[in-house]
Amino acid sequence: MATALDQMAGRQAGPPVNDLGLRIRALTKVYRTGTRANDGITLDIAPGEIFGLLGPNGAGKSTLVQQVIGLLKPTSGTISLGRFDLVADPDCARQLCSYLPQAPVPIESLRVREAIELSARIRGAPRDRARRRADQLLEALQLREWERALGAKLSGGVRRLTGFAMVAVEPGALAILDEPTNDVDPLRRRLLWDQVREMSDGGVAVLLVTHNVIEAEKSVDRLAVIDNGQVIAEGTPSSLKSADRGRLRLQVMLAPGVATPELPDFVERQVRNSHTLVAVVPESAGADGIAWAQRLVEQGAAEEYALGATTLEDVYIRLTGRMRDSLGDG
Amino acid sequence: MLRWHLLSLRLWAPAAAAIELLAGVGMVFGIGLLIPHISTRAAVYGTTGSAVVTTLLLGLILGPQLVAEQKMNGTYEFVLTMPVPRSAAALAWYTVTLVIGLPAAAATLAAGMLRYGITLSPAPQLVVAVLLSVFTATMLGYAVANAVSQPMVTIILSELFIFLAFGYAPINFPPSQMPAWLVGINRGLPFLPMATTVRDGLTHRVVSDVAISYVVLCCWAVGSVLLALLALGRRR
Repeated sequence: MATALDQMAGRQAGPPVNDLGLRIRALTKVYRTGTRANDGITLDIAPGEIFGLLGPNGAGKSTLVQQVIGLLKPTSGTISLGRFDLVADPDCARQLCSYLPQAPVPIESLRVREAIELSARIRGAPRDRARRRADQLLEALQLREWERALGAKLSGGVRRLTGFAMVAVEPGALAILDEPTNDVDPLRRRLLWDQVREMSDGGVAVLLVTHNVIEAEKSVDRLAVIDNGQVIAEGTPSSLKSADRGRLRLQVMLAPGVATPELPDFVERQVRNSHTLVAVVPESAGADGIAWAQRLVEQGAAEEYALGATTLEDVYIRLTGRMRDSLGDG
Repeated sequence: MLRWHLLSLRLWAPAAAAIELLAGVGMVFGIGLLIPHISTRAAVYGTTGSAVVTTLLLGLILGPQLVAEQKMNGTYEFVLTMPVPRSAAALAWYTVTLVIGLPAAAATLAAGMLRYGITLSPAPQLVVAVLLSVFTATMLGYAVANAVSQPMVTIILSELFIFLAFGYAPINFPPSQMPAWLVGINRGLPFLPMATTVRDGLTHRVVSDVAISYVVLCCWAVGSVLLALLALGRRR
């Protein structure tokens, strides 16, 4: 039996094959209050690509996603998936795209396996494929233990994984994942990312919205940083970090109650979030940086420090002037 | 989608069915306590009206409050992103209302017959009347729930409907016991036509204006469906 995706793409029934990429052009959304949540956003996601969307709270990420999935109507601009216009036909958007929202999925009364299989069936998968894929995902995400548990009894992390499985079981052409690893333990996060990669290897375009810059760096093929409704940077993690080539990251855990110490001249930029002070220094000043941090520890102003290569988080800080809103455990 | 809705209500449905049953049967017995020497005619009105009220409860309160709760806990949007026609979601909810509401309505009628010794004779048109009344109540509640963006306003509106139905609509008593101007208003609302058509399907020559009641009910049904589909298809 052909899924909705197959039918819309004019293909014969069979394993899902996706040749539909996402194109967003000059997308603008102005709410009735006058808030310009998205301002001329242009980006592309190729089939099989994992594309990350980073940005602080209120940057416009959710607004962008909701326009793609058909919940919001753009003020101007276009969104297309292959030859399908998602703005003109929001029903088409729901057929072609699957969506894991940031909020918990509404499965209080459903058992884990039921929720996953039903999602597949609602998205057009035949019964045997829905069952087979549910089996595969329960195994791959180590959810067997909760297979027959009701959603109301699940921990936040298991519920999140179930929500992810409800997307991955029949993802369509584009899977939109909003903070998929929230509440998920570190071991199962790896399993989840493995499945995200498997989806993309199968030709599904993945749009990943996340605050977890460290995870994004490991998981995405390309990413865009959004701030104040605009794309302020776009590229692969390596290309975005290239501006920081020749620099190192010095992270200092300050002691509680300590004010930000006077910074040496070799610090190019710094940002503080709670007790964590992150400074970017030239490679040539690495030894001086360690000496400075060591003095802070000896004076009791700091508890520990670490020096390493710059990360995507430093790019994020450079571009937005802020640290990631939540210190994920990567 | 129907299976999704039915399973989604697995934890909630037994409580809803119990509330419906208690409400309907409770109303029937309560009328007898209010009016100790109740006439046969009053008992017929009270019993058949109580069955209609149970339908209204489900469609106008419980349904909208479910949707309001989904909006408050952030899960409403997830349902909207499912790839099913909006009409399918509405029809699924209608089916759920029938499954939960009909047994309670039947129990209410049975309780009235037992308590007051009245005879009710279901006629073929009862099927149409019940299906149409449940459909109208469900779609009206569904339309309000989806058209109103603020969940608290949805809850208040749904409770307002019930106050109107209980206090200002001749559902459990003949319209002749109300001021004429209020009866005139009720002829245009769905509550009196629901009671009239259902009562016509259970009794012989107790009610009048049956045909016009069907027309009014159909207009409310169509209007509610259109409003619900408009609300569901609307993008901010």
